[in-house]
Amino acid sequence: MKARGEGIGFLLPVVAFIGLFALLPVALLFSNALLQVGGAGGFVAVLSATQNVRALENSLEQGALSAVLAVALGYPAGVFVGRYRFPGRSSLRSLLLIPFLLPSLVVVLGVLDLFGPNGVVSAAVPATAFFGRGIPAIIAANLFFNVPIVLLLTATGCEGASVELEETVATLGGTPVRAYREVWARPTWVGAAAGGLLTFLFSALSFAPPLLLCGPSSRCYTLEAQVYALDQTFLEPNSAAVLALAMVLLLLLPTAVYLGLVSRLRTNPGRRRASLRPVDWHAPSTWALALETMIVLAAEAALIVAVLYRTVAPTGRYGAGAAWTELFSASTTAHLGVSAVTALGNTLFFAVVAAAVALLLSIVSGYAVVRRPDRTVALGLLLFVPLLLSPVVLAFALASFWSPFLGTSSNVWTLVIVSQAILALPFALQSLEIPLAGLSANARDAARTLGASSFGAFLDADLPRVRDGLVTVGLFAFAFGLGEFTATNFLVPPQLTTLPVALYALSEVRLFPVADAAAGLLLLLSLAVFAVIAVGGRRVEL
Amino acid sequence: MSNFRPLLEVRGLSAAWDGVPVLQEVTFDLAEGELLVLLGPNGSGKTTLLRCLAGLERPSEGTIRLGGEEISRRPPHQRGVVLMFQDPALFPHRSVYENIAYAPLLQHRPMSEVEEEVGRLVELLHLSGFEERSPDQLSGGELQRVALARTLAARPRLVLLDEPFASIDVELKAELRSEFREVLRASRTSAIHVTHDREEGLFLGDRVGLLFDGRLRPPADPSDVFGNPGTARSARFLGYNVLDGPGGTSAVLPSDLRVVPAGAPGVDATVLVAGPVGRENEVVLRTDDRQRLEMRLARSESVPRPGTRLRIGWERAVRLPPD
Repeated sequence: MKARGEGIGFLLPVVAFIGLFALLPVALLFSNALLQVGGAGGFVAVLSATQNVRALENSLEQGALSAVLAVALGYPAGVFVGRYRFPGRSSLRSLLLIPFLLPSLVVVLGVLDLFGPNGVVSAAVPATAFFGRGIPAIIAANLFFNVPIVLLLTATGCEGASVELEETVATLGGTPVRAYREVWARPTWVGAAAGGLLTFLFSALSFAPPLLLCGPSSRCYTLEAQVYALDQTFLEPNSAAVLALAMVLLLLLPTAVYLGLVSRLRTNPGRRRASLRPVDWHAPSTWALALETMIVLAAEAALIVAVLYRTVAPTGRYGAGAAWTELFSASTTAHLGVSAVTALGNTLFFAVVAAAVALLLSIVSGYAVVRRPDRTVALGLLLFVPLLLSPVVLAFALASFWSPFLGTSSNVWTLVIVSQAILALPFALQSLEIPLAGLSANARDAARTLGASSFGAFLDADLPRVRDGLVTVGLFAFAFGLGEFTATNFLVPPQLTTLPVALYALSEVRLFPVADAAAGLLLLLSLAVFAVIAVGGRRVEL
Repeated sequence: MSNFRPLLEVRGLSAAWDGVPVLQEVTFDLAEGELLVLLGPNGSGKTTLLRCLAGLERPSEGTIRLGGEEISRRPPHQRGVVLMFQDPALFPHRSVYENIAYAPLLQHRPMSEVEEEVGRLVELLHLSGFEERSPDQLSGGELQRVALARTLAARPRLVLLDEPFASIDVELKAELRSEFREVLRASRTSAIHVTHDREEGLFLGDRVGLLFDGRLRPPADPSDVFGNPGTARSARFLGYNVLDGPGGTSAVLPSDLRVVPAGAPGVDATVLVAGPVGRENEVVLRTDDRQRLEMRLARSESVPRPGTRLRIGWERAVRLPPD
């Protein structure tokens, strides 16, 4: 009975933001590049270039391998934390998600700190040095980052499986295997498959791991890294844009399937409150699940401890803790072009403003969803556009389209903020979806009939109830901005260098101890954000 | 009602969900200070009607005039019509006091006036001492009292009550509905109360309208509505037995059915189940032509066993027009 077209207005800010800063620049970049290379013939020629074919193969290989292994490692742990009620379950669930909030470069440094030439683990067990270089190292970094994703989505599926239904199967004479097949296998595997697909997307587009873990050559480059190299190193922007187009087309299907799977997880009626069972410690399978979960947690903890240990341990010419002094020294400033303090300031500035933008968009989107739930799907698709656009593609398009309007390079900061906000949006909004779904339409309607305007009712009746979700959105976007490297590295001039960009610059010239100190600083900041999220009992959702 | 001065005039109101009619040309008036009850089963369109009146849904046709002004196109917050739900829908992040003060503060009334108004309503609805509590510290009845206080604090021209007692315990329900009626009367607030509970509706309403499948039977005095059910469907809803016979269809109250000697006017029936209900015995029967009957007997009368064959007659019947 709502009038057609009612409520379009409040969608405009979101549509305009995504349109102006994502869809339009990308569409123009692609169409212009296609014209420049001569249409379809040029498109095929770019794709056929040996380096590009190898990048495609690398993307598929690294993506597939990482996805399969992430599902294998993440599924059992996801079942354990998503199925059983035990003391500390919620904290464990949060702790297991920490790597997802860590900057990608910190994870890469962590892999080197564990398994690299002077790695903590490889020094003790030389055979593990296998994981310190090349494809195994890249896969290890991808797994550290992505196993938590599979774990979380599997747990989400499991938490949505009805306990009552499972008990009904049991009372009707069904075995536990039958109950698994009938009741909770499906949602858990939907979650695991969604996690696997997201792992594939992230790994096929990984940027920092191939750059830093495969030596100076480009033999491990993914499509993402190759697009960057074509534009920034080989100065072939048209070829880079055409390859970026191919990359987007290639990822269209997995992204669509991922979104479909996630929406199935979200529509599970039992999802609002986790359906948990008491732990049956008499069952060997429970012990196996618990053990596997602990192994995942231990691996994650080892990575974090290794990074922190490296920042204080004596290495080469640096004594204990000297790397920190060196990070803030004049020589590092000379090398980076800015001081570490400035880089830290830039990082915090970008992250704070990008988080504020993401938060504002989340509030507007939340209002849109509340006003017209029937448009949730359309809005969701719009907000998930960034998922399809890798950081390099987005930065490349933003720089191509908006640079002429910005004047001096100092004004590029606006594009950094826009890119960080856009890239954080899809994941930030997931944290808002569940609280939004739990809102009471009656409270909003009561406010309306008591005299509040439509937006006033949203502010009075809805917003306070999603406050925690909004705080999580802000913190998540902030954490994302802290660690964002790929797009920022593409965009910033030296004076706007951020800590992750500085970390990369230091790693490139093999100043690993100083890079470790920068990684330690980023890690501590990320852990602080995680602590604020976790202490409030809030959750990041995917 | 004498001196009928319509505050609300609803004419030909229709609404549909995805092409399915929910309200069909609903027409009625409401006087100043009147409590109108709309009775109907679930899915009859009661809530949709209230939501249309409150401006939360837009009707496809019809007019709504409040105090002589057409308000169909006016947004909810500019109507002066407050809707109260079955779920009290209090703001969980606000205290009892803040919930009640919500509308006065929105209306930018002076603080002294807000405090006075809230204090008066707290007193009126027996909420003293609860002012600083949050809604999650209140019982179901207390929540509804706060919701009514919040509603009245808005000084609405019209209050809409959407089954506000449906989720209240039985023992509290009677007390609460008397209290609500008293408070609405005392404040001379015009109200429309929708419910599927016929006893509640007939008890509360100055007038009662029956709503079936989105069609409203013109509201009338409760005793008239009960005494003249009009159709077989209304009669069943109001608790009558409906008997089809060669002479037509009749509605008979369970308390008017009697066991009569064989050969007396009436119908033959078999007892399905029988047992005490409150101060009476209830007997459920099935006639030979498969009609279901409910009969109330005094506790002093013997209770027939299931399967017993009885001849049933009645003292009074209301003749119903053919469907």
